Amino acid sequence: MQPLAPVFVARGLTKVYGAGDSRVLALKDVDLDIRQGEFIVLLGPSGSGKSTLLNILGGLDAPTSGTATWRDHELTGASDEQLTTYRREHVGFVFQFYNLIPSLTVEENVRLVAQIASNPMTPAEALELVGLSHRAGHFPSQLSGGEQQRVAVARAIVKRPDILLCDEPTGALDVDTGRLVLAAIAKVNAELNTTTAVITHNSAIAGMAHRVLRLSGGRIVKEEANPRRIRAEDVTW
Amino acid sequence: MVNVLDIKVARDLWSMRLQVLSIALLVAAGVAVFVMSVSNYQALIGAMEAHYRNERFADIFVGMTRAPLSIVDRLREINGIGIVEPRVAEPVRVIREDTNLPISGRVISLPAAGQPLLNCLHLVQGRWPDPLHPEEVIINAAYAEARAVRSGETMAVVLNGRLQGFRVVGTALSPEFIFATRAAVPLPDDRNFVVVWASEDAVASAFDMKGAFNDALMTLAPGAGPQHVLEEVDRLLAPYGGTGAYGRSDQPSHRFLKDELAEQETLSIVMPSVFFGIAAFLLNVVIGRMVEAQRGQIASLKALGFANRTIAFHYFKLVTAIALLGSAIGLVVGRWFAIGVVGSYAAFFRFPSLEAQLEPWLLVAATLVSVGAANLAAASAVYRIAMLAPAEAMRPETPPALHTFSWLQTIGSQRIPLQYVIAARTILGRPVRTLLTTVGIALAIPLILFGLYWFDAIDYMIDVSFGRIERGDAFVTFTEPVSADALYELRAIPGVLEAEVQRVVPITLRAGHRAYRTSATGLDSGSELKVLRDSALRPIAVPSDGIMLSRTIARQLDLEAGDSVTIEVLEGSRPVREVTVRRISDDILGASVTMERTALNRLMREGSVANLATFRIDPGQSERLWSRIRSMPKIEGSSVKALWFALFNETIGGMVVIGALVLSGFGMLIALGVVYNSARIALQERAWELASLRIIGLTRREVSAVIISELVVELIVAIPAGLLIGRYLIELIASARASESFQIPAVIDRSSYAIAALLVIGAAIASFITIRRRIDRLDLVAVLKTRD
Ligand SMILES: Nc1ncnc2c1ncn2[C@@H]1O[C@H](COP(=O)(O)OP(=O)(O)O)[C@@H](O)[C@H]1O
Ligand SMILES: [Mg+2]
Repeated sequence: MQPLAPVFVARGLTKVYGAGDSRVLALKDVDLDIRQGEFIVLLGPSGSGKSTLLNILGGLDAPTSGTATWRDHELTGASDEQLTTYRREHVGFVFQFYNLIPSLTVEENVRLVAQIASNPMTPAEALELVGLSHRAGHFPSQLSGGEQQRVAVARAIVKRPDILLCDEPTGALDVDTGRLVLAAIAKVNAELNTTTAVITHNSAIAGMAHRVLRLSGGRIVKEEANPRRIRAEDVTW
Repeated sequence: MVNVLDIKVARDLWSMRLQVLSIALLVAAGVAVFVMSVSNYQALIGAMEAHYRNERFADIFVGMTRAPLSIVDRLREINGIGIVEPRVAEPVRVIREDTNLPISGRVISLPAAGQPLLNCLHLVQGRWPDPLHPEEVIINAAYAEARAVRSGETMAVVLNGRLQGFRVVGTALSPEFIFATRAAVPLPDDRNFVVVWASEDAVASAFDMKGAFNDALMTLAPGAGPQHVLEEVDRLLAPYGGTGAYGRSDQPSHRFLKDELAEQETLSIVMPSVFFGIAAFLLNVVIGRMVEAQRGQIASLKALGFANRTIAFHYFKLVTAIALLGSAIGLVVGRWFAIGVVGSYAAFFRFPSLEAQLEPWLLVAATLVSVGAANLAAASAVYRIAMLAPAEAMRPETPPALHTFSWLQTIGSQRIPLQYVIAARTILGRPVRTLLTTVGIALAIPLILFGLYWFDAIDYMIDVSFGRIERGDAFVTFTEPVSADALYELRAIPGVLEAEVQRVVPITLRAGHRAYRTSATGLDSGSELKVLRDSALRPIAVPSDGIMLSRTIARQLDLEAGDSVTIEVLEGSRPVREVTVRRISDDILGASVTMERTALNRLMREGSVANLATFRIDPGQSERLWSRIRSMPKIEGSSVKALWFALFNETIGGMVVIGALVLSGFGMLIALGVVYNSARIALQERAWELASLRIIGLTRREVSAVIISELVVELIVAIPAGLLIGRYLIELIASARASESFQIPAVIDRSSYAIAALLVIGAAIASFITIRRRIDRLDLVAVLKTRD
């Protein structure tokens, strides 16, 4: 099931932080196409520009130069309102630090997104997908780290996003819990055909992807397609 | 090498500059109000003391009918008496071309040598009279200013029934006429009362006092008590018609001044101290939260191995820098305002020199209080955080274990947008913090009310005094009692709409060894131009026999209703009588002794006579009316409400308005500081959460709603609570500070509550706007990198 049309098109993406002596080139002239339903893993050492790239794709950050579009959405040069709408309607995020709202229960954290989405699944369905239906009424502080991250995944997918962006989703987790989270992400990609990009500096995870992009010093230095993907359950690190 | 933590202090100050500035302004407002008020009050006290000292204000005063000068030596021999200054003092009338109003006054003899030994004159303008020119006189500066009298002008004065021309050669201030009050006039009426200092020769010959005197000033010898001296003086002067010696506390100008100072003390010491105290508390709250918001940083420093002491010292520097900045601004601004406000006193308090003081202790005290309050808060916050294991402290403060408040889960039906659920749970899940913020905002409100209250108090007093108690438009006094039939004559004058008479008699009340010198007013029952009222403003009937005393007098004489008291009349045949106290009244308009007029006439063993007439007039006919009245026999002086009112506005009004404006202005500044800081810190603590909301697609508006709705709820609770606290504090201060001549009622108009509430709401809206701008600018990517 190789996906077809490119939905993300990035050309000449460059991101510069600071100026003068403290100038940092986080991204250098990156070109990238991502196809609908594709599962991408971004690999690379710390500081190589992965997060910067992902944040630009997710409408959280703007490149210094270059263009990025998602379908008919021009992401570069868009206003904050346009980017908010883009995130709200199309993007689901999962970050290293779960970013759950501590004063909302698990179900409410998920419903928070459902309430603003146009065609969401029910929070219960989303929690079902990550296997946490039984914890719906708990507050985040009552859950383990892995459970919290699965809530974050549920929250990201409840709106049936077109794009799922995950920045080191297993970074704070141990192997077993990490696997559960990855399995949830893979399941969403497979079942909802959600275009998915996952950042990791753990190359073991790369086996799950359709395609692996390796970044170094702000460039995509290597790109390979996985002829055979491994399942999350088989990932080890 | 520069200490890295010191660099952090500087960076923190800079990155929090708006917050630092708002806290500093909060400190500054508290310090400024305190410094300004206390230094102004000290200026008044200092000016009074200097005036009394330099112009040698007497300790003991006595009047008599006529005594030979040979008695003076006998007075000097009294044990405990220092200096004795005999003089002649008599009532006079002044006739002016430019007004038909009868103007009364007092002429006082000046020794040939110039300055008397006691109650000296402080020349404001002009020169001393030339001994060779007995027509040359000095007049009091207040009258000269009110009537624009210039040196060199002549003045037609009626002395002992004979018209005489004087030439004004100078104007002066005197410690006995700082306030030139008369009986029956609640405030000095400088336009219609003049003090004329004329040569001994001129006065003595006009009043047939050659070789005699009828008034004496004395000082007490160092260490002497007054009681014995007063008794001896009275014994010595009894054969000469002595009206009883009295001390400063019964001297009209001094008594009035003391009451005014007591009122100023409320405005200048009590309220500003409460104000400063609240400001210090608010500083405490704000600083505490500011430091708590740095929890992660404190934990990291600790984890890096910095000792608690080092960390605490770091915050000590940070917080002290803020408090010192605020104190410095406050001292400069307070000093600056002090000079301006003291200027507004000068129209009312007639002292030779009145300058804002700034005593070093005040400076030190104000700075210490603010630095102390700030560090107390910082220290306890640092201590709380330092007590935690670094690892625990480094984690963002696990907000309240919400699951322990299981009832919180019930907040949030399916229909409430979840951003409001977040707000509600944050408020309820952290009750202590919510309470502290709410109390902080609430306490800012009384600070605004303190200022506004004075406007209301003044309005109320004017309304009560002139609308409900003194209802006549003017009154005249007579040189001696006239038959009450004079009323018919007055009523017959065209333009007089209504008229009533009163009998006002100078008296000393005695109960046991206590005495109180004042005047008794005899009112006709059912009189409508003067209506006595209780503190609820209900009319009180004049008791048909016995007397009615106001509370302050009753308290001083230790009297209760039903007790009997001795009245010594100080005029006419000087009867001494026992009367019964029938009623103790609230003194809305100052201390008073009231009787039914016929009862007072009976007590005086006189017919139906009166010496004051009050009336309502037709403004269109006032000129003709006054010319008719002025030509009536035995008219002494007059007072016109409208003029008096204008004077009141210029003097007390102006003074209080300035003080009140300054107070409420600073109160507002503090309210703004507190509200802004609450909002700012809430934002700081929750930046991570808010950014998370933005990332998952909530709009700026939806995210702002979280913080703003939290603040709105706090405001909804804080505003009414603050208004109630303000009212309570004002009642407390007012009742604790009730003074003798002017009791300031704790009246707060609805509009003041509304203004205070609106100002706080305004401050909130301004804060919301800055919060909204900060939320708009939240750096989502940066927030993702850290969890602090
Ligand atoms: N706000 C910033 N200011 C300056 N440099 C930054 C900022 N954010 C990221 N960088 C730099 O950009 C580069 C890429 O960062 P990032 O995309 O976060 O890397 P990665 O996610 O691959 O670890 C790094 O060198 C980092 O130091
Ligand atoms: Mg990264």
